[in-house]
Amino acid sequence: MNNFKRISQFFILLLLTGFIAACSSPSGQESNASSSTSGKSKKFKVAWSIYSGWQPWDYANQSKILEKWAKKYGIEIELIKMDYIPSVEAYVAGQVDACVMTNMEALDMPAASGVTSTALILGDYSNGNDALLTRDNLQVKDLVGKEVNLVELSVSHYILSRALEKNGLKESDVTIVNTSDSDIAPAFISNNSQKAVITWNPLIMEIKKQPDVKQVFASSSIPGEIMDLMIVKTNVLKDNPELGNALTGAWYEVMAIMKKEDKATEEALAIMAESAGCSLQEYKDQLKTTAMFYSPKSALNYTTSKAVIQSMDYVRKFCFSHGLLGENATSFDQIGIQYPNGEIQGDKNNIQLYFDSSFMEKAANAQL
Amino acid sequence: MLSVTKRSSWTDTLLSIFLFVLIIILYQYFAHQRHLLNPHDKLVPTFAQMLDAFTRSTFEPDRNGVYRLLDDTLASGQRVLISMVFVFGGVLMGAYMGLFPVMDKLFYKFFLFFDKIPALAILPILFIFFGLGEVSKVALIVIGVVPTIILDTYLRAKAFPQEQVIKAITMSASKSQIIFKIILPKIFPMALDSIRLNFKAIVLFLISGEALAATAGLGYRIFVVRRYMAMDIIISYVIWIGLLSYLIDAGICLWIKKQYRWYNK
Amino acid sequence: MTGKYILEVEGASQQYFDQSEKSFQVLNNINLQIREGEFVTIVGPTGCGKSTLLRMILGSERPSAGNVLMDQKPILKPDRNRGVVFQKYSLFDNLTVRQNVRIGLELENFSIFGNLLNTVFPGWKYEEYSTLVDEYLERVGLLQHGDKYPYQLSGGMRQRVAIAQAMIMKPKVLLMDEPFGALDAGTKDQMHAFMLEQWQQTGQTILFVTHDLEEAVYLGTRVIVLSQYYQGANGAKIVKDFNTPWPHPRDQSVKEEELFQDMIKTIRNQGLNSNYLLNQEEFDLSHADAIQLAS
Repeated sequence: MNNFKRISQFFILLLLTGFIAACSSPSGQESNASSSTSGKSKKFKVAWSIYSGWQPWDYANQSKILEKWAKKYGIEIELIKMDYIPSVEAYVAGQVDACVMTNMEALDMPAASGVTSTALILGDYSNGNDALLTRDNLQVKDLVGKEVNLVELSVSHYILSRALEKNGLKESDVTIVNTSDSDIAPAFISNNSQKAVITWNPLIMEIKKQPDVKQVFASSSIPGEIMDLMIVKTNVLKDNPELGNALTGAWYEVMAIMKKEDKATEEALAIMAESAGCSLQEYKDQLKTTAMFYSPKSALNYTTSKAVIQSMDYVRKFCFSHGLLGENATSFDQIGIQYPNGEIQGDKNNIQLYFDSSFMEKAANAQL
Repeated sequence: MLSVTKRSSWTDTLLSIFLFVLIIILYQYFAHQRHLLNPHDKLVPTFAQMLDAFTRSTFEPDRNGVYRLLDDTLASGQRVLISMVFVFGGVLMGAYMGLFPVMDKLFYKFFLFFDKIPALAILPILFIFFGLGEVSKVALIVIGVVPTIILDTYLRAKAFPQEQVIKAITMSASKSQIIFKIILPKIFPMALDSIRLNFKAIVLFLISGEALAATAGLGYRIFVVRRYMAMDIIISYVIWIGLLSYLIDAGICLWIKKQYRWYNK
Repeated sequence: MTGKYILEVEGASQQYFDQSEKSFQVLNNINLQIREGEFVTIVGPTGCGKSTLLRMILGSERPSAGNVLMDQKPILKPDRNRGVVFQKYSLFDNLTVRQNVRIGLELENFSIFGNLLNTVFPGWKYEEYSTLVDEYLERVGLLQHGDKYPYQLSGGMRQRVAIAQAMIMKPKVLLMDEPFGALDAGTKDQMHAFMLEQWQQTGQTILFVTHDLEEAVYLGTRVIVLSQYYQGANGAKIVKDFNTPWPHPRDQSVKEEELFQDMIKTIRNQGLNSNYLLNQEEFDLSHADAIQLAS
C-alpha cells in the first residue's frame, strides 16, 4: 500500500515535469536536415521515384557519374529509390535533402507545409505522359455525369480540371472516383463499365493497348504546365552550394550522353529502361511524350521564360481551389513563389518556393 | 501489496490515464517544437490543429457542400453493415458445417484455404472481378473476415456437447431445430465475441478497400488528404475510427452481457 | 401388461477398435427383456460397458451384433420414446430452468409460423405450456427457481431440472446414465427419495446406470450386474439379474438391513472384483425374465 502510494506520487511528479517541459519555451536546437557533417565529407540524401524523366538519375548513380561529381565537390550523395508520394513525404519530413517531384507537388506538399524549397533543375515537362483516356469514343464533352477514375488531387486531377475547363465544363459535372495508381490500369482495363480514366506513363501505354480505348486529352495539350523538377531544401542548398553543383553537373553529363544518339546512348537508355521495368522500346516511346531539356541552355531558357510563371499560376489556382494549400488557406496568393528574374508570385513575405536558374546557368557556361 | 484494502480510487484513475497523458504531453511538446522551427509544419499537427480539422470536417460543409465526416462515416458504415450480413451468414454456415458431415466435407478445406489467403494480396483480382464499386469493397471484407468467422463457429459447433444434441433428439427435435433452437442460441454469443475480436480486421479491410477506389469513406479521406499532407485531418480521422471501433466493441460487450447472462459463466 | 416386453436386447455384442486398430469386445452376447413400469438398475465395474448398453438402448450407438428392440421394433436412432438424463451436459445452459423444462414441448410442437409469432409476441404459445411446466417445476421443487440459469443452481438442483425436462415429455422409457454420479452423499440421498417418488407417481419404465452399488440396490426393483470378470471372459456379460425384495415405497431404513448389506457384499465380491473370476454356475440369473443361455 505504501509502495503503491510512492509509485503514484512518482508518476505524478513525472507528469508535472513533463507538463512544465512541454509548456516551457523550446531549446531551439536545430533538428534540421539529415545532412550529417560527421566525418570528412558531408553526406546528402536524394530521393527519386520511377518516371521516364527521372530515370537519368538512376543511371547517373549506377554509372558512378553522380559519385564522380560528388567527389569533385568533396561531398557524398546517396540516391534513394522510393514510391512517389512517400518520397515527397520523406522530403517534407526532413528525411532526405532533395527529391524529384512535379511543380504541383512542390507547391502543395513541401511549400504548403512550410518547407522552403528550391527548384534546382528543370529536367523536362510532361508532353503527353499524363492523359485522359476513354472508351466508346467518348469525348471530353460526353463525360457529363460519368465516372472518371484517377488519383485524386494528383497531376491527373489537374489534367481533368484543365480538360474540363477547356471544354466549358466544371468538375462537378463528373464523378471522380479516387483510384490507387497501383491498381488503376488493371481495374480500368478489366471493367468495361468504367468509361474514363486519367493516369500517367507507363500506365497509359498499357491501357492504350486496349482496342476500344482512345486518348482524348493529354498534357501535350497544355505543354509545360506540368514540370518535373529536382527540388532541394533552400537552406541546405544555400549552406552547401556544392550539392547543387554536383547534382547539376551529374545531370547534364547524363543528358549529354542521352542526346548523342550513339552506342553509349543506347546503353544508357537500356539501363534506364531496365530500372523502370520496361523494354528499351517502351522507354523510348515514353521519352517521346517527355519533353526533356537535354542541354542546360534549353532548360535555362525555359526556366527564365514567362511560360513557367503562367504555368505556376494555373497550378497554384488549382491547388488553392482544391484545398491543397491547406484547408485554412484564404487565397492562392498565400504562398510566395520567386522566379529567377526576381519576380514574386503571391505573398512576398512567405516565399516558400524558388525557381533557381543559377546552377543550370553555370552548367550552360561550362563553369561546373 | 496483496492486502484487500481498497486503494483510493483517484490514484487508480490517475494511474490508468497516466500513459495517455504522458504520450499526449510528449506529442504536444514534439509538435510544438516542430512548429517553432516551421510554423507551417503539417506533418506533426498540434492538438489545436487536429481539433480544428475535426470540427471543420464535422460541422462545416466543405467546398462541395458536404459534411465530410458524416458523409464518410455513412459511406463506410454502409459497407460494414452490408458485410455484417455476410458475417452473420458465416455464423450460420459454420453451424451447418459443424452439424452436417456432408457440409463439413464439402466446405471445410475450402474455407480453411481461403482463411489462409491474405485477402489484401488478391485485392486487384477482386477489383477485376467485382469492378470498382461497392461490391469489391464488401467482397474484400467478406473474404478477409468471413472464413475466420465460419471456421470459428464451425469449431464451436463441433465442440458442442453431443449429449445435448442427443437430448434434443429425444425431445423430438428435427435437424433444423437442432441448429436454430439448440446450437445457434448457445454459440451465438461466442460468435458475437469472435466478430468483436475480428472487428479490427474488418476496419483494416474496409480502409484498404477504400484506399484503392472510392468516392467517399473514412479510409478514402485518409488517403486523399495524404496528397496534401493534411496530417491534422488524418489523425483526427484515425482517432474517430478508433473511437467508433471502441464504441462498437463496448456495444457488443454490453449486448452479450445483457442478453446472454449465462455466457462465460 | 404382463407378457409384453417394452425393451428387448437380443444377443447384442459391441466391439470397439483401439488405437492400433485392434478390435476388442466390450459387450458379449447381452440378452435382456424389460417390462413396462420396471425400475431397472444396471451396475458393474468401471469399463464394463454399462454406458455402452444404455447408449445402444438409447439408439445413439448400434450393436456390432444382435438386436435392440423397443415394442418389438428395432431401435435405430434416438427418438422421443426414450428420454435420457446424463451425468453432465443434460441442461441447456443458455436457457433458464423454466425454458429448459419447456424446450421439449416447444420442439415437439414446432412450426415456423408459431415460432415467428412467438418472436413477435413472446409468451403467446408458451402460455399453453405454462401450467404444465409449472406443475413439473413444482414436482421437482424448483418453482421459485424458474427464472434462474443452470450456472446459478447446485448440482442436485440441476439434475432435478434435467429429470423434469425429460419427464415432461412422458417418454415410454427413461434412461439415466449415472445421473447422480457427481453429487455429494447428502444430496444423493435426497435425489434417491425424489427418484422413487417420481417413479411411483408416473409408473415410468426406468433404466438407471450407476457404479454405486448401494444406489443400484436401493433404487431398483430389478438389479442387473454387468461384468467382465468371469472365467474365459471376452467382453462383459450379464452375470446377475435379480429382484430386490423390498416393496415400494422404500425408505432409507432398508439400507440398514442385513439382507441389503449382504446383497451389496455379494455383488462387490463376485461382480466387481477383478481378482475373483466367476464360473458360469455362479451367475445369478434369478429374475423371472432373465434369459438363461447355455454358454
